[in-house]
Amino acid sequence: MQSAATADVRTGTEDVLAVKALVKRYGDQTVVDGVSFHIRAGEIYGLLGPNGAGKTTIISMVAGLIPSDAGSVNILGEAMIPSSTGPKGHLGLVPQELAIYPDLTARENLRFFGSLQGLRRKELRARTDEVLELIGLADRASEQTKKFSGGMKRRLNIGIGLLHRPTLLILDEPTVGVDPQSRNSILESVERLGTEGMAVLYTTHYMEEAERLCDRISIIDEGQVQAEGTRDELIRLTGGVDRIDLRGSGNTSAAAAGLKKVPGVQRIDGGGGGLILTVLDGPSLLPAIVTGAGSAGMALTSVKITRPDLESVFLHLTGKALRD
Amino acid sequence: MTGIWAMVGNDLRQRLRDRSVFIFSLLVPLSLMGVLNLAFGGLGTDGLDLKPATVVASVDDSGQLGAALLDAVGSLEIMDVTIRKVPAADVSRETRDSGADLGIIIPEGFTGAVTSGRAVTVQLVEGADAGLETSVLVSVVDGLVDQFGAGMVTAAAAETAGLSHDAVAALAQQAAAGAPALTLSEGEASAEQLSLKGTLVAGQSGLFLLFTVGFGVLGLLAEREQGTLARLKSTPVPAGSIITAKALVGFILGVSATAVLLTVGTLLFGVSFGSPFVVGLLVLSISAAATSMTFIVARLVRTAEQANIAQSILAMVLGIGGGAFFPIDASGAIAALMDLNPVAAFIRGLGISAGGGGPADVVFPVTAMLGFAALCTLASRLVPDRGTQA
Repeated sequence: MQSAATADVRTGTEDVLAVKALVKRYGDQTVVDGVSFHIRAGEIYGLLGPNGAGKTTIISMVAGLIPSDAGSVNILGEAMIPSSTGPKGHLGLVPQELAIYPDLTARENLRFFGSLQGLRRKELRARTDEVLELIGLADRASEQTKKFSGGMKRRLNIGIGLLHRPTLLILDEPTVGVDPQSRNSILESVERLGTEGMAVLYTTHYMEEAERLCDRISIIDEGQVQAEGTRDELIRLTGGVDRIDLRGSGNTSAAAAGLKKVPGVQRIDGGGGGLILTVLDGPSLLPAIVTGAGSAGMALTSVKITRPDLESVFLHLTGKALRD
Repeated sequence: MTGIWAMVGNDLRQRLRDRSVFIFSLLVPLSLMGVLNLAFGGLGTDGLDLKPATVVASVDDSGQLGAALLDAVGSLEIMDVTIRKVPAADVSRETRDSGADLGIIIPEGFTGAVTSGRAVTVQLVEGADAGLETSVLVSVVDGLVDQFGAGMVTAAAAETAGLSHDAVAALAQQAAAGAPALTLSEGEASAEQLSLKGTLVAGQSGLFLLFTVGFGVLGLLAEREQGTLARLKSTPVPAGSIITAKALVGFILGVSATAVLLTVGTLLFGVSFGSPFVVGLLVLSISAAATSMTFIVARLVRTAEQANIAQSILAMVLGIGGGAFFPIDASGAIAALMDLNPVAAFIRGLGISAGGGGPADVVFPVTAMLGFAALCTLASRLVPDRGTQA
């Protein structure tokens, strides 16, 4: 594993979740191989990897659904194994598959799972109403969920995980199969949870979601953590270079020769009525590059900066695309 | 325990809402009871509803026995018999033309033949539309002639022994007309036997209980298939609570459905199973036995479809083997094995209860059912859990 840095998270000094050297085998196949990470209060931690990377298996062990073959999971200092009840009280799980009862109403679903989490009477009623408002289903609370759209079911799926105000919320690919509007609503909710101090473990194979939400990210492939850190730290693993596309007319050869002298420009490729520059820190170099191109006689029609993303990191680390 | 009851309540709400439990636990068995009762229920009635019968007879015998034979036929308690006397030559024609049920020709010298031990023939002519009434009449005449035959044998024996003619006649008459030394008397049926209607109601209730308790394990598989099982396992309820809750759901549905079936069966089909307390004890016992079976099914199957098939096979084998559709006669080892069948034990227990038996009288069937429950529960711990590997 490549460690980008020891990130200093916004809040909390104590680990809400500490996963150490977790291993899971099915027969001869090791599907999770020595995974370690920790999450603090208020931190949104992402597990980013393609389908089949082992993310859901890791989550299943963290949530105490299946036993691990080696390693440990601790939630607020308590060891989590399938028979644990204490740590599970701190946990809210939002499984990847919808986990709601189709013959029950939204309110009945919430009340049932709330009662299993130990909420009683007034508190249960009050929290149910709050969560129904939060997920935008207050006006449909008395309808059986089998009549709900996919997005509404997803929102309820998340609401159930939030009902008892868990210290640690686990979201396993919560936006799979969700329309863009519901997806955005879900992402906004998760962002808000982080700011409210909840520790969130978020798995996804959508690079944009990990970039938008997560304070720190583990890149998972073939059951192993390939790299861990903040977004910027991970990107620096690739060398941290940006790409600037210059389009225009005029003397591109002279422009290329002139721009080579700008500090930070590492490489220039030409062709198709434009130039492609590989640079360090594109946004700060951009004024000098635009000025240099103009001085060399190139009339620019468009400029585009492409910064490296987690997709590039994954490609850099594993040699394959995130969605392979 | 709060978590268990929350899960039980949640499951019952869903089962009642999707109505499948009503269909499979109440409507289907009640319909089947009705159909089976229509098909077979009449055979189990205590009294035969025999129609009045007409007998065309000729009695050329001048002695007492010919008249006695005809009097006996005409005075049957189980059916009204009208006797129309005609000459012997007309008996066959009259029987055929008048639609009579039976013709009887008692020959001249019948009494003399019986008392002296000589052979004699009583001729019977069955009516054109001979039915159950004719069969009964023929049986009655057969019985009477057999009794008179005893007189013939007595006379022959007395004559061989060298008794006087008067003594021989007196002995023969005594033998023919006297009460038989051995008699059969109709008493109450065995205390473990229900009427056919009662057996149908009890058997169908027991059979469908085996299906009804299956809703518990089906609920568990539904949780797995709809993804809620993972969420349940992530909550702070103790290990084992989920399967306990499912078993309780099956048990509660089983007890409720069986109680309703027995009550409705009692009212609709006019059968009585005796003390409600004893019946309740039997219902609880068979529900425990049936529920324990679902523990094994839950470990063996991976999908709701597999569970349905397994539960149906077990229910039909135990139901038919236990006499839910028709009584099963067996002896030896098979009979001993059948005694362990919870459906058979349930029917037998209800038979004892229906005959006035109390709690102490149903100890054996209750023990058989609870023993079955214990065995199945133990076996379920030993069976590999294929379900969790799914």
